[in-house]
Amino acid sequence: MSDEIRAASYDALVIGGGIAGGEAALDLANNGYKVLLVEKDLSIGGKMILLSKVFPTLDCAACITTPKVSEISRHPGITVFTGAEVTSIEKKGEREFETAVTKRPRYVVEEDCTACQLCEEVCPVVVHDEYQYRLVGRKAAFIPFSIASPRVAAIDIENCTLCGACEKACPPKCIDFTQETEKYIIKTGTVIVATGFKLFDPLKIPRYGYGVYKNVLTSMEMERQLAPTRPFNTILRPGDGKMPDRIAYVLCTGSRDDTIGNPVCSQICCMYSLKQAQLLMGALPMADVTIYYINIRSFGKGFEEFYEQAKGMGISFVKGKVGKITETETGNLILRYEDINENRVMEEEHDMVVLAVGVLPNTDPLSFFRNGELKADQFSFVDQAEVLSSPARTSVKGVFVAGTASGPMDIPDSILSAGAASSEAISYLKQ
Amino acid sequence: METEKGKTFRYLREKREVSQDAKDRLREFNRAKKEILGALKEKDMTVNELGKKLDRPGHEIMFYLMTLVKYGSVEAGDIDDMDEYFSYKLKK
Ligand SMILES: Cc1cc2nc3c(=O)[nH]c(=O)nc-3n(C[C@H](O)[C@H](O)[C@H](O)COP(=O)(O)OP(=O)(O)OC[C@H]3O[C@@H](n4cnc5c(N)ncnc54)[C@H](O)[C@@H]3O)c2cc1C
Ligand code: SF4
Ligand code: SF4
Repeated sequence: MSDEIRAASYDALVIGGGIAGGEAALDLANNGYKVLLVEKDLSIGGKMILLSKVFPTLDCAACITTPKVSEISRHPGITVFTGAEVTSIEKKGEREFETAVTKRPRYVVEEDCTACQLCEEVCPVVVHDEYQYRLVGRKAAFIPFSIASPRVAAIDIENCTLCGACEKACPPKCIDFTQETEKYIIKTGTVIVATGFKLFDPLKIPRYGYGVYKNVLTSMEMERQLAPTRPFNTILRPGDGKMPDRIAYVLCTGSRDDTIGNPVCSQICCMYSLKQAQLLMGALPMADVTIYYINIRSFGKGFEEFYEQAKGMGISFVKGKVGKITETETGNLILRYEDINENRVMEEEHDMVVLAVGVLPNTDPLSFFRNGELKADQFSFVDQAEVLSSPARTSVKGVFVAGTASGPMDIPDSILSAGAASSEAISYLKQ
Repeated sequence: METEKGKTFRYLREKREVSQDAKDRLREFNRAKKEILGALKEKDMTVNELGKKLDRPGHEIMFYLMTLVKYGSVEAGDIDDMDEYFSYKLKK
């Protein structure tokens, strides 16, 4: 790591480049403020950029996200750091924040990469592709995904064997293994925290067999299977490549469940499961899709109609709590569940099971301020100090929260909350 | 140290050791690739058929096979009469 610490100043720092952070950055920049957007990942876009279609309109997620991320990347008022993290924030006074940022080397000179993928072609190393939720491989020299922003290659140095093949193949000679971690001190007048959420890890419920039974998937894995840039040629079981016939959804996996320490409703799982079930019926017209639920919470605009539409398409709904999943010799899965309406324990066989995993807090921002000034709510999301009168405010004056960093919400609500955060930030800057 | 454009990997090679894990993964992928491409040279096969022939679990075959499809050396062929399993073939 180089010892040099670079200094820069902007009007606003936005941490997290998902839909909420991206939207907040655009709002600020469109109002003439200079923004630094710091994103941990190699691309902005957060989880939304990896979705298939979106409820309740079934619009293509990429068609909405791609123009948005390109507007963010090209905006003269926004500087984007990808592969970067905030290590500390200090409030020196009103409208005076000092943030330490670390930017990992990409080993590719971003401005010179033409995204030709020749490096990827020659790289001999294959590892699990995290952007396809490990369903397929990627190279150690790779472009994260086709609509990534920036669409620039990166070298996965932990898995690279330093053979040099990529560097030899790169036409503009932009691969640079001399790059080092860069450190910055950033001065800004305000900070927006938009670090998003984490997904529940289903390994914490061993009785569902995730990780052991290969045909038990998470909803995010199914999201990738349904996307146009899917990992397989069509929807297939990861265990043996079978095109599934009978698909089950287990709702509330890791939500509303005290036994795993998350009593809250994730708010999105019912709806994204209804969405995926409808998309599956479109992709596999002969398939039977069954949703095992405790309650269907379709409370938003157009959501109840979306639920009715799913029923009308022939999706089955079973009010039942799944206790255990076991696997047969053929890789099929037997769901043992309590039928709540019939009040008895039942078993049903399916080809594939999708766990509708819940929303958990990303606790990264809680350590940004050294003395814990940024408070968390009782579930470890960023606390909204005045949730009714000023929902973007946090416990630190001048620091605002946008999107799922403050709790589970869908895309429209994340965008609304980004609007609230940016306008509160602008008012604060103008005070 | 080598910092000439196009040869900078030599610079990092002097500073950093390649992990044993990375070397093992590379060896394992090359082995699986050779086995799968060798088997498909004989005839088109489903994931289960490849698994049986190569004595590897289905999910492992899926991962390597789909990666070979992604990088263009294998392609999906026909699906069986039950509309369940595709066979896979070498891409000409
Ligand atoms: C399977 C699934 C399907 C869904 N389908 C739909 C749908 O159809 N319709 C709908 O409305 N909603 C849907 N959602 C919900 C939607 O994904 C969220 O509402 C939305 O992504 C929230 O955006 P966000 O920006 O708040 O968070 P995120 O998308 O989580 O983005 C947060 C960003 O912050 C970055 N970050 C995290 N920590 C740091 C750090 N320390 N420093 C810098 N950067 C950091 C992350 O890398 C990420 O880019 C779905 C969710 C799931 C899981
Ligand atoms: S140097 Fe690393 S990234 Fe480049 S081709 Fe070799 S293994 Fe792949
Ligand atoms: S790093 Fe070089 S070879 Fe790889 S995509 Fe960029 S320009 Fe092409």
